[in-house]
Amino acid sequence: MNAPVSLTTPAVSVDIEGVNLSYGSNHVLRDVNLAIEPGEFFAFLGPSGCGKTTLLRLIAGFNHADTGRVAIGGQDISSLPPWKRDVGMVFQSYALWPHMSVRRNVAFGLEERGVKRAEIDRRVEAALGLVGLGHLAERRPSQLSGGQQQRVAVARTVAVEPKVLLLDEPLSNLDAKMRVQVRRELRELQQRLGLTTIFVTHDQEEANSICDRIAVMNDGIVQQVGTPMELYERPANLFVAGFLGTANILKGRVIGSGAERCFEIEGGVKFPIGDGAAVPDGAALVFRPQHASLVEPAGSQEGALSLPCIIANREFLGASVRYGARIGSAEVAVDMPFQSGRELFEVGSEARLKLAQGALHWLSA
Amino acid sequence: MLNRRIALAVTLGLSLSTSLATIALAQAPSGKVTVVTSFSKDVTDPIKKAFEKAVPGVTLEVQNRNTNAGVKYVEETKANNQVDLFWASAPDAFEVLKAKKLLLAYKPKATGIPEKIGSYPINDPQGFYFGFAASGYGIMWNDRYAKANKLPEPKDWQDLAKPAFYDHVSIASPARSGTTHLTVETILQGEGWEKGWRILKEMSGNLRSITERSFGVPEAVNSGQVGVGIVIDFFAFSAQASGFPVKFVYPTVTTVVPANVGIIANPPNKAAAEAFIEFLLSPTGQEVLLDPGIRRLPVNPAVYAKAGADYPNPFTDPRFQKMIGFDVDKSEARTAVVDTLFDQLISFQLDALKGVTKTLHEVDAALAKKPNAQAKALADEARTLIAALPITQVQAGSAELRGAFTGAKEKGARQAEIESQWASFARDNYAKAKAKAEEALKAAK
Amino acid sequence: MTVVPSLTPPRARRIAATPGQIALALAIAAFLLMFLVLPVATVIYVAFTEKGTSTFTLVNFYDFFRTELFMRSLWNSFYVSAMSVVWASVFALPLAYLTTRFVFRGAAIVQTLGFLPLIMPPFVGAVAMQLFFGRNGSVNLLLDDWFGFKIDFMEGLNGVIFVQSIHYFPFILINLSAALRNVDRAMEEAAQNLGSSGFRLFRRIVFPLAMPGYLAGASLVFVKVFDDLATPLLLNVKDMLAPQAYLRVTSIGIADPMGYVISVVLIVASVAAMWLSARALKGRDYATTQRGGGGLAKRVMTPWEAVLGYGVVILILALVLAPHLGLLLLSFATIWSFSPLPDGFTVAHYARVFGESSVYIKNTLIYASLAGGIDIVLGVAIAYLVLRTKLIGREWLDWMATAALAIPGVVLGIGYLRTFYGVTLPDGTPLASLWITIVLALAIRRLPYALRACYAALQQISVSLEEAAENLGATKSRTVRRIVVPLMAGGILAGFVTSFSTAAVELSATLMLVQSNSDAPLAYGLYVFMQSAAGRGPGAALGIVAVILVAACTFLSHLIIERSQKAKGLGH
Repeated sequence: MNAPVSLTTPAVSVDIEGVNLSYGSNHVLRDVNLAIEPGEFFAFLGPSGCGKTTLLRLIAGFNHADTGRVAIGGQDISSLPPWKRDVGMVFQSYALWPHMSVRRNVAFGLEERGVKRAEIDRRVEAALGLVGLGHLAERRPSQLSGGQQQRVAVARTVAVEPKVLLLDEPLSNLDAKMRVQVRRELRELQQRLGLTTIFVTHDQEEANSICDRIAVMNDGIVQQVGTPMELYERPANLFVAGFLGTANILKGRVIGSGAERCFEIEGGVKFPIGDGAAVPDGAALVFRPQHASLVEPAGSQEGALSLPCIIANREFLGASVRYGARIGSAEVAVDMPFQSGRELFEVGSEARLKLAQGALHWLSA
Repeated sequence: MLNRRIALAVTLGLSLSTSLATIALAQAPSGKVTVVTSFSKDVTDPIKKAFEKAVPGVTLEVQNRNTNAGVKYVEETKANNQVDLFWASAPDAFEVLKAKKLLLAYKPKATGIPEKIGSYPINDPQGFYFGFAASGYGIMWNDRYAKANKLPEPKDWQDLAKPAFYDHVSIASPARSGTTHLTVETILQGEGWEKGWRILKEMSGNLRSITERSFGVPEAVNSGQVGVGIVIDFFAFSAQASGFPVKFVYPTVTTVVPANVGIIANPPNKAAAEAFIEFLLSPTGQEVLLDPGIRRLPVNPAVYAKAGADYPNPFTDPRFQKMIGFDVDKSEARTAVVDTLFDQLISFQLDALKGVTKTLHEVDAALAKKPNAQAKALADEARTLIAALPITQVQAGSAELRGAFTGAKEKGARQAEIESQWASFARDNYAKAKAKAEEALKAAK
Repeated sequence: MTVVPSLTPPRARRIAATPGQIALALAIAAFLLMFLVLPVATVIYVAFTEKGTSTFTLVNFYDFFRTELFMRSLWNSFYVSAMSVVWASVFALPLAYLTTRFVFRGAAIVQTLGFLPLIMPPFVGAVAMQLFFGRNGSVNLLLDDWFGFKIDFMEGLNGVIFVQSIHYFPFILINLSAALRNVDRAMEEAAQNLGSSGFRLFRRIVFPLAMPGYLAGASLVFVKVFDDLATPLLLNVKDMLAPQAYLRVTSIGIADPMGYVISVVLIVASVAAMWLSARALKGRDYATTQRGGGGLAKRVMTPWEAVLGYGVVILILALVLAPHLGLLLLSFATIWSFSPLPDGFTVAHYARVFGESSVYIKNTLIYASLAGGIDIVLGVAIAYLVLRTKLIGREWLDWMATAALAIPGVVLGIGYLRTFYGVTLPDGTPLASLWITIVLALAIRRLPYALRACYAALQQISVSLEEAAENLGATKSRTVRRIVVPLMAGGILAGFVTSFSTAAVELSATLMLVQSNSDAPLAYGLYVFMQSAAGRGPGAALGIVAVILVAACTFLSHLIIERSQKAKGLGH
């Protein structure tokens, strides 16, 4: 991917304002408002059926909002047909035309724009060079591997120098190893082109690894927008907390007051929380597995919240070991760094769960 | 259900034919009798009805096929024949069947039917097929069309060669239509080989189309697509009966020819087949022919008493008495040669022939205004070129040529070779004639 | 987990044949040999024998290529066929495009009406066309009256092209529409996204993707026109190849090998045309339906587009349905001769038809459905064997079945008589005299239509859908039954409708094989009526009955296609 770059355009913003879309009684998008910065690599993340692909297709012009508008670079494009929007989209199935060679596929959009032949040739070369497929230009799509097809699809899209690049689950048809490689390439490409890019995925790892910001969606509603770290560190609600990474979510209620104030979860186990933290009504206690740790039952009880527990299961994850620790009737996940030579807790043995006070969050559903 | 019916008829027919071989017709006929015919429903339906009424217990099963296909069918199925009768117009078809030993001789008992109609013997002398109705050949035209295009009323074959009829005439290919073949042969026999072909070619220069089916011609005239057609009389009569604005005339050189019926060799139901022939020849059967939808000429002179005054009667009408005799043997011997000549010299060269004819018509028109001897001489030369024939009458009847067309077993000239020769002969002559005609036109103007 | 389209082309992914497939292939081969090759061989072997000695020779072919008339006929046949494809495409493309790409009210009606020309009953159809477009037909009489000129719609080769393209364009319409419905929506959206729209999008992306369907239809039109003898003969055009063969086989050339030589040339040319169209598509993966359905997005037309769209559709339908309109008028006409409209109207013809011909109608329905049924079973089986197995010589099944297209009906008819008349049932009835023979002849004659439709349908189904089923434990035969056939349903139904409706009006082979009036199909009844002046009206009435009957069946199946398409579309 070291071809000379000539495919850059000034980056633009994408603004989605008050978008609602429903099919009959089925609300697919509800009051979606997003401001995507110029040059940003932005992800729509959520489980299938959350409306993320619909939102992407809405930007591309394949779906139409009941209310609200989409603006690119400050210009409202809501009423433009797909072919006048100048947003490039890479389809999940790649949608490479089987009756055309790779070169003809990539040249297509330029031809449609009436670009001169010599310029087309130059830009096709550049686009294919960008994805490292210059040598396969005369092949037909059916003669390429999945990864190669994906790159052709990207090259085809960036060749027209769109204002915005839309990627619809571009990695879902690739195997695990290819996925990691290709997503890195995509990120590099995006940075080189400085192109505002929207990436639709259901895979948080994908989104976290390459995106500047993420909009987490569920039920047609944007749950939270933020950088991967913000979302991870400060999930706005239980859905976001549970969807991004692993979170222990414990439901219960606040009892007592002052220093005796506790959060009692089902099964009667009480988390002493003192009077410092404000806990909203009906909120759940949330913490990440790596923010908890296990110590020997007889170990120190100093400085932190500490509860007796029983090891219910154990998974070896490489860099860490994940324990399932039972407290009362609840089970929480605890990650402990793996160090060779250090003894592990056995399943069935007793231990103590330790939690730093700052690691606890209370979130509403 | 149906198969059983066939099976029944077959077994019945077989037992009948074996037992009846000696006691001919001692028993009343019954069961199903199958007839292959080229006649239309308008003809077969009333006859079927009358026959089944006259001979209770017998069902007439009609298989409608064109004459050629019918012959072919009988031939292909002879190993296990299921057909009792062959019933069609063209005597040639019966000659072919007879020659292939596919007909059974019979002697009808009906009385009152003369030997000849016009000068044509009504029955096959060997008793293999029998005339039951007569038909003459002539010219049919659409009155509306004629008025719109200001066509004169034609009276004779030669009239159709006149400039006024250019592109207004239609004929069925003689190779395809038994009746047209007879018309062509009638002209050849009546006018002589050389003159006959000359008339045919001059007439053909005016042709609009050469149709593939006999009925194609009356159909085109009826609907007004073509003005004039060369047809067998009943096509015109039945069209008139249906209300079409058409007229018909018998030319001087024509003949009346019987339409025939014959028993297929080894018939499944011989008794009923014979009963059918007897019925057709009986006064009752003959009278059915007067039905407006059929309009054929009965072969029993007595029946005409029941026909209207304007019904043509070949036995009394003087026009028919003048008609030429028709030599069936001569016709049969050269059928394929005549048909092929017509195809190769006329049908497949029609554009060229029409081209010359049109120019010659223009020359005539110019000459009528301003006579010019040189132009006339050139035009005559062109006409002679058109009329020229690749073979003589004697050659046409020769065994050698016949062999090429009838799939004779001995090695000889191939049909394709001969056709190719004739075609190039015609093509060259028409091209030369065209050049002469153009020259004549220049001279005349 | 991995759904990676593999590096190897689909060809290499085919699986070796199972014993069941081998048995199936052998059974089909036996059927085709018995009911196609053998009967035809008994007729056309003459082409290869020397006159008189019956020894093998090629001299007859030498004669063929040396004869000016035959060479002219060959060229004319090529010219007419090619031009008919062009014009048929002109008629079919807008109809297919508008009805599959837009939310088009009455799309099913348009598809049905567009199909009607194919069921132009013999004889009466040509008569009706003459009455409208002939030299003295309504149009020309009016033109002459008003403007003093005439147009030679129906003259010479151009007349043949005119009638043939009207008659056969539904082949393109049907196959192309089925293919268009199967194109993956993302293929179109990708192009729109890159700035393409409207007709350009159709021309550059959608149409090429529907190419297998178009080619299937176009090659059918080409071969059908190449081999059709009825239309040229009814227009009195004789210097084309098929009419030459027919004229010779049925008249003076009965004993001459040349008629059979021409038949051989026809067969070779037809197979070559089919082979070329197959070749043109070879190696291209057109399996675009990756999601097991999900056709193109249908767009709502703007008012202007709607006006234009409906205008074009109505114009084309008016033209291609003119013969049927003429037929309708004729069926109610008292006398119609040299006038723009009939002299008067009557319903008497219908009374006569219903009185006399109900048995024809019943027989036709039975024969044509049986023939259509046989055809789709064979069609699916052959398409599957050719496209999905590696059986040696599987293409031969395809070629053999396709060759049936080129065999003049009369040759097949005579062949059946020769082959099966000698074979008798225990009670002495010849095999050839049973009505099932007519069904078999119809099935063989119409097999190529169904086969092409099935072929195109299967070609568009991605192999991975079958592999998925096999992977989940379905055997090959169950995969075919549960996955392949349901996905092909549209194509199969299209094949059935084509076979059924064209068999319903087929004449040439049946005429030779009809043994009794009570066994006769409708086309035979038409033939019988059209032999006399008085039968013209009833013939037209019977023709209308045939058209309505077949059209009703067609309309029904279109509804079924639409419904199943919708049902599939709901899946995602």
